[in-house]
Amino acid sequence: MSLYQFLIAVRQQDGQQLMNESGETTSHLMGMFYRTLRIVDNGIKPVYVFDGHPPRMKNGELAKRYVRREEAVKQMEDAKETGDAEKLDKFTRRTVRVTREQNEEAKKLLKLMGIPYVDAPCEAEAQCAALAKAGKVFAAASEDMDTLCFSTPVLLRHLTFSEQRKMPITEVELLKSLEGLELSMPQFVDLCILLGCDYLEPIKGVGPATALKLIKEHKNLEGVIAHIKANPESRFKIPEVWPFEDARDLFLNPEIQDTETLDLKWEEPDVPGLVEYLVKDKGFNEERVLAGAARLKKNLKTAQQGRLDGFFKVVGTSSSTPSAKRKAADNAKGDKGKKAKGKKK
Amino acid sequence: MLEGKLEQASLFKKIVDAVKELVQDCNFDCSDSGIALQAMDTSHVSLVSLLLNADGFSEYRCDRNIALGLNLTSLTKILRCGNNEDMLTLEAQENPDSLTVRFENTQQDRMSEYALKLMDIDQEHLGIPETEYAATITLPSAEFQRICRDMSAISESITIECTKAGVKFSCEGDIGNGSVTLKPSASADHPEAATKIELSEPVSLTLSTKYLLNFCKATGLSPSVSLKLADENPILVEYPLASGHLRFYLAPKLDE
Repeated sequence: MSLYQFLIAVRQQDGQQLMNESGETTSHLMGMFYRTLRIVDNGIKPVYVFDGHPPRMKNGELAKRYVRREEAVKQMEDAKETGDAEKLDKFTRRTVRVTREQNEEAKKLLKLMGIPYVDAPCEAEAQCAALAKAGKVFAAASEDMDTLCFSTPVLLRHLTFSEQRKMPITEVELLKSLEGLELSMPQFVDLCILLGCDYLEPIKGVGPATALKLIKEHKNLEGVIAHIKANPESRFKIPEVWPFEDARDLFLNPEIQDTETLDLKWEEPDVPGLVEYLVKDKGFNEERVLAGAARLKKNLKTAQQGRLDGFFKVVGTSSSTPSAKRKAADNAKGDKGKKAKGKKK
Repeated sequence: MLEGKLEQASLFKKIVDAVKELVQDCNFDCSDSGIALQAMDTSHVSLVSLLLNADGFSEYRCDRNIALGLNLTSLTKILRCGNNEDMLTLEAQENPDSLTVRFENTQQDRMSEYALKLMDIDQEHLGIPETEYAATITLPSAEFQRICRDMSAISESITIECTKAGVKFSCEGDIGNGSVTLKPSASADHPEAATKIELSEPVSLTLSTKYLLNFCKATGLSPSVSLKLADENPILVEYPLASGHLRFYLAPKLDE
């Protein structure tokens, strides 16, 4: 995910990716290096998780993405001929692919920086969620709401957005979301499948509100499908091939590395190694790399701020006693909040 | 309905000033025993707990338990409208929409009244387990404030180390390091200026300077402050009030 962003966004003014003298792309390393520094500066100790092989069920989605990329390549060629610079830039960005070498380079960089990473056997989101669930990390940071379906206790979105965008970081607590939606975890997964995930086509005409209603009425997907099939005149059409059980299984029993065997360690950065790799091989500015390494070292030393949650347990809630009028207004607000939560992506 | 009268507005002003550094909005839980407040800061690192007993008010009555949801920045604005020596009355009706704040000056010839709109706040209540603290240090609150202030210039964290011989505050930063050691002392004339240490075993905690400095906003409330420490547990910083207390808890920084 991040590597794509960097390859797309980290560019020079003329729209070219950053390269070293021998013409190798370095956008991804640049982005990785400085984003990690920013994360560490804010007192967060990151663990990177790399995607493994995609699950078979994602083939449909991946094929679609491939077609889109092919289209973009064509449009890029067209733009080149007509000399439309703005379009050319736009479509060039859409043709980006992360190569295996770039993945390996990113891992090498992390190793030199002393930052741990995990190779997920399958979907990275599933592995992130498993790490958070096992208490190895506090939260999973991803833009992908699927992470919640893999039952991460806490999901952080917009963690690494640019500060200039003034976008607050969103923290989603799974338990509270389930409470708010009044759903069980399997029901929540069913709800998300109904709304469309990477593995299955969404059902046309089913938006967040309808999906929530359907799941609540019929308890689970089996019930919803039976209901739709029993009412042929209903406006919803289920695709002919719709193996929702498989998708559900992917979410509830994902292919992951056993978190117990993973040893996550933050180590001292290998400064000579970083200089050798980034400055000599990749043409980075030596001063900046050294300054970055110093920041890594300093932040590694500082002790982690603990949280009270581990010591004190919630025993109840106190709610201010609102008057009838204000209560009504509040309820209206609450409903809106629920809808927003149900929405995917 | 709630009616509570304080002889001096300054007490309530100082409390709100100290609490508002940590939380923006919180519930004041009023019952016939007094007014209580418990709230965590947004990052769940510190907790403030206030208790104002009914007998600390010159007049107090509360027929039914109510939680008053207040925005502390707004409350501060209202409290600024009164002088420190004014008498302060807090008043709320049954199922209130607003809190009435009334000031009367000492000559009793000027009376001002303000109403502050209430908010709906759902707040989690935390159970604080009984902790056996390894050390309880009582020291002048101004001394504690000075240590925190001095060290804030050097480092983001302060280590408090307590042994039989005394208590040592130390810090280490980019520009250098520093430490302050206090030995137990007694002063017959000024008991509040004494430093006392009760210790069952040596203990050491590393804490965020920023949060400690925020707690020190309560210095004006009490001449002395007590620090209670137990290994790997949150520190308790307590400012005793004439009838009640203002307590702060802060989770320690932990080495991996």
